[in-house]
Amino acid sequence: MDSTHSNTFQESNHKKRRKIGDLTTDQNSLNLMPWRSESDQNTYSKKLIEALRRINSPETTTTTKPRVAGQVRETADRVLASTAKGRTRWSRAILGKWKKLRRHHRKVKKAKAGSGLNRAGIEKERLRRLPAVQKKTRVLGRLVPGCRKVPLPNLLEEATDYISALEMQVRAMTALADLLAGGTSAGIAGQVLS
Amino acid sequence: MSSRRSRSRQSGGSSEITDAQITDLISKLQQLIPELRASRSNKVSATKVLQETCNYIKNLHREVDDLSDRLSQLLATTDSNSAQAAIIRSLLM
Repeated sequence: MDSTHSNTFQESNHKKRRKIGDLTTDQNSLNLMPWRSESDQNTYSKKLIEALRRINSPETTTTTKPRVAGQVRETADRVLASTAKGRTRWSRAILGKWKKLRRHHRKVKKAKAGSGLNRAGIEKERLRRLPAVQKKTRVLGRLVPGCRKVPLPNLLEEATDYISALEMQVRAMTALADLLAGGTSAGIAGQVLS
Repeated sequence: MSSRRSRSRQSGGSSEITDAQITDLISKLQQLIPELRASRSNKVSATKVLQETCNYIKNLHREVDDLSDRLSQLLATTDSNSAQAAIIRSLLM
């Protein structure tokens, strides 16, 4: 595919710049990407802690462990979605499960996705017509919340954002768990300073 | 969102979604996935990128589930230790 070659050309140029001394530049550009900055992670961590504290009411001591873990997971996802500030479809879908009013928005969005598909169907899309690609696309659409009927380019954009968000979620929750398990203030201070 | 897609590679009208745009998005996705970041883009097919993306998202989901499990256990024990709770509060506020 010619388009892939032009892609490689750009990629290889970018890679040539990535010499050993240029690692700091990469770090800076990474921090500018959504979900990668420390402030994003701090915002998420704060909101998560507050939300998790609300779970830990007297009733939860009697509920089973898997249930509480499920609540933690849902809370973590909900806070992640709210940190996204409604920029993406997946975040709106997660929040839609919690706020029933949002279902109106979801219906409108689905109609738009349908018309997008009709327009794209006219073009000769060799790549996206491949059955293997279509099969994987469907699986991916099921994995990203709210993206089952989304056309391919939108789905790819959503997946890109969703993956970055999930990575941040894992980083934040890991740091939080280490913090809680750390115990001594020396251990906690070490976490914060690293 | 459509403004992000109006790049120089567009050949026809503004409503067209070209193969090049899809390839561009797929290569962006490829850069995010640790397993595929090392390979050069002309050797990785779109199908493989999609497959690895699905696997990666599933892995991340599993990690979040495990972390949720761990956090739920830790939260149960932490509240009893008010010193830790105070430290966390002071560090995050």
